[in-house]
Amino acid sequence: MKIVAITNCPTGIAHTYMAAEALEKAAKELGVEIKVETQGSIGVENELTTSDIAEAHSVLIASGVATDLSRFKDKAVIEWPVGKIINEAKEAVNAAINAKAKTPTGEVSEAQESFTDSLSHKGSGLLKHLFTGISYMIPIVATGGLLIAISFLWGLNPPEGSFGATINTLGGAALSFMIPIMTAFIAYSIADRPGIAPGLVMGYLSVNVIGAGFLGGIVGGLLAGYIALFLKKVKLPQALSGISVVLFIPLITTVVGGLLMIYVIGSPIAGLMTALNNALTNLSTTSMVILGAVMGLMTAFDMGGPFDKVAYTFSVGLLAEGITAPMAANMAAGMTPALGLALATVLFRNRFTQQEREAGKVAWALGACFITEGAIPFAASDPLRVLPATMLGSAVAGALSMLFGCTLAAPHGGIFAILIPKAVGNVLLYVLAIVIGAVVTALTVNFTKSIGKKS
Amino acid sequence: MEITELINPENIKLDLLSSAKEEAIGELAQLLFNSGFIKDKEEVVKAALIREKEFTTGVGLEVAIPHAKSSFVIKPGVAFGRSRKGLEWDTVDGLPPKLIFLIVVPTDAHDQHLQVLAQISRKIIHDDVREKLLQALEAESILETLK
Repeated sequence: MKIVAITNCPTGIAHTYMAAEALEKAAKELGVEIKVETQGSIGVENELTTSDIAEAHSVLIASGVATDLSRFKDKAVIEWPVGKIINEAKEAVNAAINAKAKTPTGEVSEAQESFTDSLSHKGSGLLKHLFTGISYMIPIVATGGLLIAISFLWGLNPPEGSFGATINTLGGAALSFMIPIMTAFIAYSIADRPGIAPGLVMGYLSVNVIGAGFLGGIVGGLLAGYIALFLKKVKLPQALSGISVVLFIPLITTVVGGLLMIYVIGSPIAGLMTALNNALTNLSTTSMVILGAVMGLMTAFDMGGPFDKVAYTFSVGLLAEGITAPMAANMAAGMTPALGLALATVLFRNRFTQQEREAGKVAWALGACFITEGAIPFAASDPLRVLPATMLGSAVAGALSMLFGCTLAAPHGGIFAILIPKAVGNVLLYVLAIVIGAVVTALTVNFTKSIGKKS
Repeated sequence: MEITELINPENIKLDLLSSAKEEAIGELAQLLFNSGFIKDKEEVVKAALIREKEFTTGVGLEVAIPHAKSSFVIKPGVAFGRSRKGLEWDTVDGLPPKLIFLIVVPTDAHDQHLQVLAQISRKIIHDDVREKLLQALEAESILETLK
């Protein structure tokens, strides 16, 4: 029999390790195998792998602080105060031995399955790192997105200095950290603390310097994490090893990762954006419906990345010339990803993890306000299955908006723009286009998420 | 790095004079102050007592491991004190602790020091180690046991 355990405590100096040793000793005496992950001030050591957890009969948590239990969804979890476990190690291990395995509930196991499936598919813990990044990103997406949505209550363009504008600024501030937080915690998940600083920088570069959006952010986070992880294994002279974690690793990782981001990933993106812009200009002279569909594909493909940005800037540019139909198509396409996924979390609960279902509740509001970022937590955790669905839904919405001859005079606002009289031309058909797009997204994601599963 | 960088004979008191928690922590902090590990005894004692309030470091097995993470710590260190009759301390098993380790860490401690502290913490769990610490006649053999 195997048991896995985690020990931690507020300062992470003594209890964490005493508890780990006490548990290992008690397990030896009781004749069970144990693996103890220590979460102390040194960082996480002896980390439990997915297969450790899968093999384990039960999980023992000796904790003095809040511990993330999401890794142990279908396992029996015994919790014991870390202050007592040193004296009561045997009792705790016995409790873990006697714990009855929780019968996995249908929905959880299915979500878990898709998770582990993709893990084995990718052959590494890649997804685990993405998940970590996303779970830290969700609160900031929700906070920033909802603040922007709330600011629309004061009108779409509140005057500078007004309360509405201030709330909007708060929301924008929060959203500007969205991708950096994700990349920082992807890197943290891979390389622990030394990954955070370079991860933040990669996120910033992706969004603000090379304009590569969340897909670039995922690449940047993985880059930062794996470079830092590699550097951790480099043996340094005694005198330098003290500053390795605080200076050497973050510095070198930032330089190497940053240069790769700017020159290897950034330069092609700049060329790509010019080419895309020319292509859209050509399209607009042929068929508006196809233009709408193409812009939809672009918007939903990278949600804030280069494709989306080209489509949006293109529409806003035409708006200045008084051509308002592309803007309408663009906004419809930007609203459907989050709305469609929110709808899917309700219609097809079993396809989503608990965390995604929570994110789904917020995604309703974000989608309705044309904050496409609400879909990113879903897309980042399973891009190959989610992006085709959001792209199809947005293409349909964009094409229908064009076909119905809808127009839009404001470059943002979502439902708030729709509610303003005369801001949207053919408003009822416009709403219909968005609803159809969202339904298409939800149905498609239900289908794509069924692909590649073991029965 | 060597454990002797964290604890040296000056940081060891085989017979504590105090009979209760607060004075004992003070007595050990004084050792660390004398040997240049901390720059302010009162502040370090205060930090350890605040930590103590979260939950007792009287972890049972006649061991207590008060610890302080504070900017008044110059370098990471350990002071060891022994009390033959045990101290008044609110411990998890109700037994008065006889082996007291005061651990001090500056707020920006490096991993290496923390790793050595972790090793010491792990040692104390073993019965034979504690037995030796109780029996030791001189500071040197305490150091030898903790190595």
